[in-house]
Amino acid sequence: MYLKKLALAGAVSLSGMLMSTGAYAACAYENTVPLKSLSAGFEAWKAVTDAMAECGNFEAELDQEFRTKQPAAFAANPSLYQIGGVSNGTITPLLNAGTIRPLDDLVAKYGQNLAPNQLIRVDGKIMAVAMMVNTQHLMYREDIFNDLGIETPTSWDEVFAAAEKIKAAGVVDYAIGATMKSGWNLAQEFVNMYPGFGGQFFNGDNTTAVNSDAGIKALETMAKTLPYADPEVLVSDSTYVQQQFQQGKIAMSNLWASRGGAMNDANESSVVGKVKMAAAPVAMEGGAPATTLWWDGVVIAANISDEEADAAFRLVMEGMDEEMVKANNEAAIWLVGGYEPGPLAAGAIATATATPAAPPYPSTTQMGLLHTSLGNELPAFLTGERDAAATLVAIEESYTTAAKEAGILE
Amino acid sequence: MKFKTFFWFVAPSLFMMILFIAAPLISVFIQSFQITQPVMQQIEVETCTPGFLTQTCTTELKTVPVIDEATGKTQTTTAWVGLESYRNVLQMDKVWAAIGSGQFRDILQIDFWKALRFTLTFTLLTLPLVVGVGLAIALAVNNAAKSLRGPVIFISLLPFIITPVIGSLSIYWLFVGDGILTTTLERWTGQDIAMFAQSWTIELLMYFYRVWHVAPFAFVIFYAGLQTVNMDTLESAIIDGASRFERLRYVIVPHLMPLIVFIALIHLMDCYRVFEEIIGFRSEAHVISLQWLTFDFLTPDDAGNRAISRASASAMLTMIGIVILLILPLRRTWRDHKGGAH
Amino acid sequence: MSSKATAQPLSLKIASGAFLAFWCVLAAFPIFWIAVMSVKSPRDAFAASAWDVITGPVTQAAGNGLSVLDIVIGLAFLVYAVRWAFTGLPKLIAHLSPPAWIVLGWLVGAAVYAVVFVLLFFGLLPIILGAVNAIAGPLGTPILGLTTEHYVAVWGENAFYENFINSMIVTAGVVTVSLTVGTLAGYGLARSGSNLAFWLLILALIFRALPHSVLVAGYLPWFINSAEILRPIFGELSPTLYGQPWAVIAVLVAINQPFTIWMLRSFFQNIPSELDEAARVDGCSHFQAFRRVIMPVMWPGVITTGLFSFLLGYNDFLVTSLLLDAQNQTMVPAIAGYFNRETTTTDQVEAVAAAVSITAPLFLLVMVFQRQIVSGLTAGAVKG
Repeated sequence: MYLKKLALAGAVSLSGMLMSTGAYAACAYENTVPLKSLSAGFEAWKAVTDAMAECGNFEAELDQEFRTKQPAAFAANPSLYQIGGVSNGTITPLLNAGTIRPLDDLVAKYGQNLAPNQLIRVDGKIMAVAMMVNTQHLMYREDIFNDLGIETPTSWDEVFAAAEKIKAAGVVDYAIGATMKSGWNLAQEFVNMYPGFGGQFFNGDNTTAVNSDAGIKALETMAKTLPYADPEVLVSDSTYVQQQFQQGKIAMSNLWASRGGAMNDANESSVVGKVKMAAAPVAMEGGAPATTLWWDGVVIAANISDEEADAAFRLVMEGMDEEMVKANNEAAIWLVGGYEPGPLAAGAIATATATPAAPPYPSTTQMGLLHTSLGNELPAFLTGERDAAATLVAIEESYTTAAKEAGILE
Repeated sequence: MKFKTFFWFVAPSLFMMILFIAAPLISVFIQSFQITQPVMQQIEVETCTPGFLTQTCTTELKTVPVIDEATGKTQTTTAWVGLESYRNVLQMDKVWAAIGSGQFRDILQIDFWKALRFTLTFTLLTLPLVVGVGLAIALAVNNAAKSLRGPVIFISLLPFIITPVIGSLSIYWLFVGDGILTTTLERWTGQDIAMFAQSWTIELLMYFYRVWHVAPFAFVIFYAGLQTVNMDTLESAIIDGASRFERLRYVIVPHLMPLIVFIALIHLMDCYRVFEEIIGFRSEAHVISLQWLTFDFLTPDDAGNRAISRASASAMLTMIGIVILLILPLRRTWRDHKGGAH
Repeated sequence: MSSKATAQPLSLKIASGAFLAFWCVLAAFPIFWIAVMSVKSPRDAFAASAWDVITGPVTQAAGNGLSVLDIVIGLAFLVYAVRWAFTGLPKLIAHLSPPAWIVLGWLVGAAVYAVVFVLLFFGLLPIILGAVNAIAGPLGTPILGLTTEHYVAVWGENAFYENFINSMIVTAGVVTVSLTVGTLAGYGLARSGSNLAFWLLILALIFRALPHSVLVAGYLPWFINSAEILRPIFGELSPTLYGQPWAVIAVLVAINQPFTIWMLRSFFQNIPSELDEAARVDGCSHFQAFRRVIMPVMWPGVITTGLFSFLLGYNDFLVTSLLLDAQNQTMVPAIAGYFNRETTTTDQVEAVAAAVSITAPLFLLVMVFQRQIVSGLTAGAVKG
C-alpha cells in the first residue's frame, strides 16, 4: 500500500516537473520568454500560478517574506520579477516608487475576458488587474443558533446578545472567536470596527483622527468581545480561529471570507455542513458592515523590456481564466468570469454588496504607519494595562513619531 | 609569531567579518544619527477598486513621494538629526515624568524599557538555571552505568540540535489552547488554565524553553570537562575527609570554572539577543525583547514603510547593553591572555 | 570512580538515576510528540485529548491503521535495525573503507543504510504485513491510526527534496569554508601573544552579539541591487547576489566566524607550541609547520567545531528566508512558509511532517559523531 502511494507520489511530482519544463498540458499557447513572479502564498495564488506554469518557462515564488522583498526586487534594474501579486495594501509601495507599469495597452490587447470591475485604475490608468476580493463575514453554527432560537445577528449588539445566550447554555467553549493576535491582526480588527462607527482615520494635514468618540466606541466594542472569547485571544490568528471553529469550540466569528471553505473540509473539520455565513455585522444602526474590502491582483514590473511585459501579461491572462476558476471555485471569492458563488460565499457577497457598502481598505503610506502603531499599542488596552482614552493617546503619539520619521508630518 | 605571518593567518577570517559584520555595523551606527526621507507631495488621485459586482471610485488627496524624472527613483533627503532617533526610542521625557510622579510602572509602558526589562530578566534568570541544570545532568550522566551513557547523551543532546523554530513550535503546541499538557494540568488542578492569556505564564514557558534548549550545550561541555578532573586531587580530598558536597564545591567546580565562564559568555550573548521565543510563543502582546523591537522597526508595513533610523538606534543601544554585560566575564579572559601568552 | 571510598550510597544513586530519567523524558517528549502528530489526520493531530492524538480514531476510520501484529513486528524490526546500526554498521564501514577515508566511508555508509532502511521499512514490510494481517484474525485488525500521507505530500507533491538538496549545499558550504578560514585564524590567534590578537578576539565576540535581524535587513538592498552596483567593476558578469546559495554561505560563515575562531583558538592553545616550534627549528615556515605538524593532530577539535557550524547552517532561518529565492530555498524557511497568514490545518500537519523529516539528518549526525563531540571537547576545544 505504502509502496503504491510512494510510486504514485513520485509520478505526480515527476509529471509536475515535466509540466513546468516543457509539457503544456492545459495552456492555449507555448510561452517562450522566461518569466518569474513574486506573490503571497495562499490557496488562490497557488491556483493561479499553477495555471500559469502550464504554459512553460515560468517560475512562481510564493513567499511569506514577499512584503519585504517586493519593493526592493521591483526597484532593481532589470526587475528581478516580471509579475507581482499584490493586495490593495501591498500595491502602495510599488505605486509610490513607480516600479509597476500602466497596463492599458496590454489590457486592450489581451484583456477581452476581463470584467470592468477587475481593472484597478489610478488616475485613469490601469495599474493592476484584480482576481479576487476578500472581506470579513459572520460565520455561525446554524445548529446551535436553531437549538437556542437565536436569529442571525446583523449588528454587534445582537452578536453580544446571542453570545450571552450561548454562553449561558454552555454548548461550546467560547461563544465568539476573534482574530486578535497582537500586531497586524489586532490592528485590522480596529480598522474594521472604527469606520463602522463613522470614524475617519486622518485629518486633512495627515495627522491621525483616531482619538475621537468613534475610537472610544470601537475600542469598547472590541473589549466587549473578550468575556465571550478564548482568554488566549491575543495569540489567535485566523488559522487558529479557523481551527477552533473546525473543532466545534466556538459558535460564531467575524472571520475572513477566504476561511469559509475550510469549514466543509471533512479531513479537518468536525462541523461539516453546520456552519452558515451572513454579512459582517454593523457597528451602529444604519451604518455599513464593520469591515473593509480587500482585493488581490496582479501587477507588471516597469523595469523590464516591453516584450517581457507583453509575454508576462499574456501569461497572467492565461492563469486567470475561466478554466482555473472552475477548477478552484471554493478557493476564493473570484472576480474572474465563470465563478459560481457557493453557499459559503453568501456572507462575503452580502457584505460586499450591502448599502451603505463597507469601505475598501484605505491603502496609503499613512495607513501603513497607523496600522503598525495600532498593532503595537492596542494589546495594552486589551490586557487592561491602559484605558481606552490613554490607548488612543498612545496610538496618536506613536503614529506621530513614525510619520515624522517617514517625512509625512513636519 | 611575526605580525606579517599573523596577519596572513587571520586575513581571510577578518576580511569576511569586516565585509559582512563590521561594514553593516558602521552603516547602522551612521544611520542612527540620520533620517532619510522621501520628498513628499500632495496630489489629488482618483482610485477605482473592485467591489464584488461594481467598482467604487474615490477621489482623494494623497501624500505620495516625488519620483525623479532622470533616474526613475524616488527623491530622498538625508539629514543629520543628532540623537533624535535615540530620544524617540528611549522616550526619556516620559521616563522622567513617570519617576517624578512616582508611577514607576508607567516606565514599562514604553516599548524600549519594557523590552529591556524582559531581556535582562530573561538573560539573568536563565543563566544560573542553564549552568545548574547542565552541571546536574553532567554529574548524573557521569554517575550512570557506562552502557547507559551513550543513549543518554544522545537523548540529552536532542533539544540542542533541533531547529529552534521547530523546537519552540513543538512546545507552543503542547500548551496552547487545549494543548495536551494544558489539558493534563487542568485535570490535576481542576482549574481552567490558559497558558498564553497572561504575561507571567508566557514568560515562564519562555524560560523553560530556553533552559530546555541550551542546557544540553552546557551539559556536554561540562561532561567533557568532568573527564579531565584530576583523580589524585579528588582522592586526596577524600582522604582529608571532604564530604561529597565539599568535593563538588572545592575540587570539581573550580576545575570547571573556565568552562562555566565560557558557557556564561556564550549564554549572555545569545540570551541578550532573545528573539525566537517572542515569535514562536507569539508573546508580543505581553512581553517583547530588544531584538524583537529592532526587528519590528525594520519590518515593512503594507505601505512599505520601515523605521530604519529608530531600528539603528535601538540596535546600537542593544550593542551597548551587551558590551556592558560582557565586561565582567571578559576581564578573566584578559588576565588569562596576559598570563598564558606563548 | 571505582575505588571503595567513592562508592555511593543507594539513595544518591537512585536520586541521580531518577533525575536522569526525568530529564530524558523532558528532552525527548516534545520531539516524540510532534512525530506522533505528523502521522495522524489533521483532526486527530490537533485533538484535545492526548489519547485521541495517540490512537487517532479519525485516521483509523479513514482506513489507515496498524494492528497489534504490525506494531510488534515493526518495533522488533526497528530495534534490530538500530542495534545493528551501532554494532554491525561500524564494523562493516571500518572493514570496507580505507583508514584515511573513514569520514567519507561513514557518510556513504550512513546514506546507504538510510536508503536500505527506508526501502525495507516502508516498502517491503507493509506488503508482508498486509498479507499476514489478512489471515491473523483479531491480532490483525487495526487499533492504532497511522498515516504517512503528510510525508508523501511533503516529499512528493511539495517537492521537499529540492529544499533538502539546497539545505545540503548551503550547510556543506558553510562547514567547509567556515572551518578552512577558521582554523587558520584560530591558529594565528592562538600562537600570537600580541595585544592585537586579544582585541581582535574581543571584537569578534562583540560582533557575535550583534542582533542578526539588523545585519540581515541591511544586506537585502545590496544583494538585490548587486548587479547594478557591481556593473562598473565587473561589467556584464556582475551577479545578482540575492538568491545565490554561495552568497548566503558567505554571510553565514561570517556570522559564525567569531564562535569558530574562539573555539579553535582555545583548542590550538592546548596543543603544545613546542611542537610547531620544533618544526620551525627544522626550517619550516609557519605555514608549513601548520600543515605538517598541526593539521594531523587538530581533527578532534575541528570535528567538534564543524558540528556547531553544521547546526548553524542547517538550522538558520533569518538569513536564508530573506536572502534566498524560492528556487534555492532551504528547508527551515520552507517549513515556516507553511505557517503564514493563510494556512489550513492540513498545511500545519504537513509542516509538522516536514519538521520531523528535517530532524532526521540531525539525529543521524549526532549518532555518528557523538563520541567525537565529547572527545573533541575533552581534548580542550573549550577552555574559556
